[in-house]
Amino acid sequence: MSYSLELRDVRKSYGDFQAVKGATFGVPPGTIFGLLGPNGAGKTSTIRMIMDITAPDSGEILMSGRPRISADLHRIGYLPEERGLYRKMTVFDQLLFLGELHGLGRAVLAKRIQSWLERLEIAAWGKKKIEELSKGMQQKIQLVGTLLHEPDLVILDEPFSGLDPINQGLFKEAFADLKRQGKTILLSTHVMEQAEKLCDHICLISNGRAVLDGELREIKRKWGGNAFTLRIEGDPQVLATLPGVDTLTVSPDDPQSAKVLLRPDANGADVLKQAIGLVRVHEFRSEEPDLEQIFIKAVRDGAQ
Amino acid sequence: MALNNTWVIARREYLSRIKTKGFWIGTFLLPAFILAVSILPSVFLARTKTSLRLAVVDETGRVATPLVQRLKEGKKSEETPAQATRRATQEVQSGRPSSAPPQPKASFDVTVEARQGEATAQRAALDSKVLDQSIDAWLWIGTGTLETGKVEYHGVSVSNVVTQERLENALTDVVRDLRLTDAGYDPVKVHTLLSSVDLSTVKVSAEGSKAEGGVAGFLLAYILFFLLYMIIAIYGQQVMTGVLEEKSSRIVEVILSAVKPSEMMLGKLAGIGAVGLTQLAIWLATLLLVTAPALGLTLAFIPGGIPTLPLAVVGHFLLLFVLGYFLFATFYAAIGSAFNDIREAQQAGASAMFLLVPPMLLGPMIINDPDSTLSVAMSLVPFFTPLLMMLRIAVKMPPLWQILLGYVLTTATVLFMLWVCAKIYRVGILMYGKKPTFKELLRWVKYA
Repeated sequence: MSYSLELRDVRKSYGDFQAVKGATFGVPPGTIFGLLGPNGAGKTSTIRMIMDITAPDSGEILMSGRPRISADLHRIGYLPEERGLYRKMTVFDQLLFLGELHGLGRAVLAKRIQSWLERLEIAAWGKKKIEELSKGMQQKIQLVGTLLHEPDLVILDEPFSGLDPINQGLFKEAFADLKRQGKTILLSTHVMEQAEKLCDHICLISNGRAVLDGELREIKRKWGGNAFTLRIEGDPQVLATLPGVDTLTVSPDDPQSAKVLLRPDANGADVLKQAIGLVRVHEFRSEEPDLEQIFIKAVRDGAQ
Repeated sequence: MALNNTWVIARREYLSRIKTKGFWIGTFLLPAFILAVSILPSVFLARTKTSLRLAVVDETGRVATPLVQRLKEGKKSEETPAQATRRATQEVQSGRPSSAPPQPKASFDVTVEARQGEATAQRAALDSKVLDQSIDAWLWIGTGTLETGKVEYHGVSVSNVVTQERLENALTDVVRDLRLTDAGYDPVKVHTLLSSVDLSTVKVSAEGSKAEGGVAGFLLAYILFFLLYMIIAIYGQQVMTGVLEEKSSRIVEVILSAVKPSEMMLGKLAGIGAVGLTQLAIWLATLLLVTAPALGLTLAFIPGGIPTLPLAVVGHFLLLFVLGYFLFATFYAAIGSAFNDIREAQQAGASAMFLLVPPMLLGPMIINDPDSTLSVAMSLVPFFTPLLMMLRIAVKMPPLWQILLGYVLTTATVLFMLWVCAKIYRVGILMYGKKPTFKELLRWVKYA
C-alpha cells in the first residue's frame, strides 16, 4: 500500500535555526492523520514544505508513492493556520477565484459554489462582501474554498483555532464526511484532546523531530495499560519519586489529584502500596492513558 | 511557471480595481479638468458674442465717431497699430511682456446720442433705458476726457471684464490718437516707430523645420513628464499597499497553496499595471482629442494653444510607462511583502522615490539641451530612462539607437529587479513579526 502522502527525512533550517530536523512519516489513504505537537514544534514549517510554499533543504516528499510534482498541489485542499479572505470581494467571486486558482472552469465552479452555499443554508449570501460577514461565517466560507476543488487530500493547519464551539462542531462533521467519502485528512493541532477524538493516526512532533508515529489505537495499547489516577491528601508531586512511576501530571482542576503513567515493567498494586506508606490515598483508579501523557513521555524519552 | 495562475491573479486584481468607484472618479477627474481649462474659456468667450447695446453721449464731439469705427473693426487678432503701440508702451513701462489676452469676440451695437437738455435729466433718462432693457449700458464722454482720460460707464452688469476691457482699449486708442494729432504728431508714424519685436520660435527636427509654439511645446513635454511620474508613483504604491493587504489579511498563504510566489507577484504586477494602462489610455485619448488640430481648441492660458500630440510620442509614452511601472512596482512589491505595517513600508518605499528625484532635477536641463552628452547619458541610466527619455522624445525625437539602447538597458534592469524582488517577496510574504533589516533582505535574496 502506498501512502497518500509520505515524507522522508525532510529538513528545513532558517538561518541557524533548525525548524524541521528530519521529518519522516506516512499518511495512509482514507485516514484522519494528526500532526501533533506544541507551538513551535515545526508543524507549520512541515506543512508549508508539503504545500511547496517553502522548499526543504533536504529530504523527499512523495504523493501516492512518487515524488510530488506541482500539479499534485491541485489535488490538495489547504487551510492554513493564518487564514483570511479578500475583504472587499463578494462571497461568490471569492470562491470563484479560489477555485480558478486550481484550474477549474467557471461553469463547474458556479454550480459547486451554489450547492455548497445551499448546504450551509446561506444561499442568499453569495453577493455579500466578505467584510459584511461574521467571523464564524467567514471561516465557513474559507472551508468551502478549501474543499471546492474536491481534493483527495485535505491539509488543515490548526483548523480549530479561533473557531467558536458551533463551528468546531460543524468542521468536525465536515471532516467525518470527507473521511466517509474516502478522502485523506492531515490536520495539525496542539490540542491533544481534539486529536484524540478525531484522529486514526498520529505523528507527534517535538523540536522539529517526529518522536512518535503510528495508529492511535496501537500507540495507546503500547504506551497505555499502566496509567492510574491518584487522589491524595497533600501535594501529589511526592509520588513522582516512587519507583516505577514514569510520568506524573497534576490535574489542573484538582490540585490533590494526579495522573501517573508507570513504566511497562512496573505494577500498579506495588505503586499503590508504596503510596499508602507515604501519604493518605483517597482514590486509586486505573485509567486509559491520554495522549498528553504519552506525548510528555515520548518527548522526554526522545530527548534522552 | 503556469500562465493560467498568473492570469487568474491578474484578472482578479484588474477587475476588483476597475469595479471601484474610486478608479472612475480618479480617471475622469483629470480629463475633466483638462477639458475644463481648454474648452470652457472658449465657451465663455463665445458667449460674449451677444452684442452689447451701448448708448454714447459725446460732449467733445470728436471721440464718438472714431470709437464706433474702432469697435466695428471687430476682430482684434489684426492688431491695430494703435494697440501695438499701447502694448509696446505698457511693456516698456511694466518691464515685462504683456501676455496676449484671449481674443474676445464681443461686438457692440452703438448708438450715438446727441447731448440735449440738462445733463442730470439726460443721465436719468439713460439710466431708465438701461433698467427697462432697451439698452445694456451707456458711456458719457465728458468735455475734459482728452485731458483727464476719464469716461463714465453705466450698465446693469459692471463686471463683464472682456467687454469692458475691449471698450477701454478702444477708448484709449481713440483718445491717444486724438492727443497725438493735437500735439502735432502723425499717429500712424508714431505707431510704426514704436512697434515691438517678436521672436518667432522654430523647432528644428529631422522631418524639417516647422514652426511651433516654444512655450507650448515645452508645456506638452512637461505634461507628459509629470503624468508619467505621477502614474508610475501612484501605481507603484498601489502594488505595495495591495501586497501588504494580502499579507495582513492572511489570504496570501491560501493563494500560495495553489500558485508559486513568483506567479502571484507577476499576476499582481500585471493586473495593477493593466489598470494603470487603462487609466492612461483614457487620459491620452483625452489629450489627443484636446490637441487635435481639427477641433482647434486652444488652452486659454497658452499663447497659440498646445501643439498636436504625435502618435509616435503616445506610443513611446505607453512603452515607457510599462517599463517604468515594472521597474518601480517590483521594488514596491518587495517592500510590501517584507514589512508588516503600512507606515514602515511607506518609509522604505520613500527610498524608491529618491530614484525619481534626479529626473525631476535634470528635467529643465534636458529640455534646454536634449542632445547634450549629459542629457544623453542621464537618459540611458535605467532608473532614469522612463522619465528622461520621455522628456527627450517629447522635446525633440532622439536618434533611434539611443531610444533602443534605453529600452534594452531598462528591460534588462526590469528583469533583474523581477528576479531579486521575487526572492524577497517569496520569503517576506510569509514573514510576520518584526521588520526586517537590510541585511536580512539581502540574505533572503541569497536563499536558494
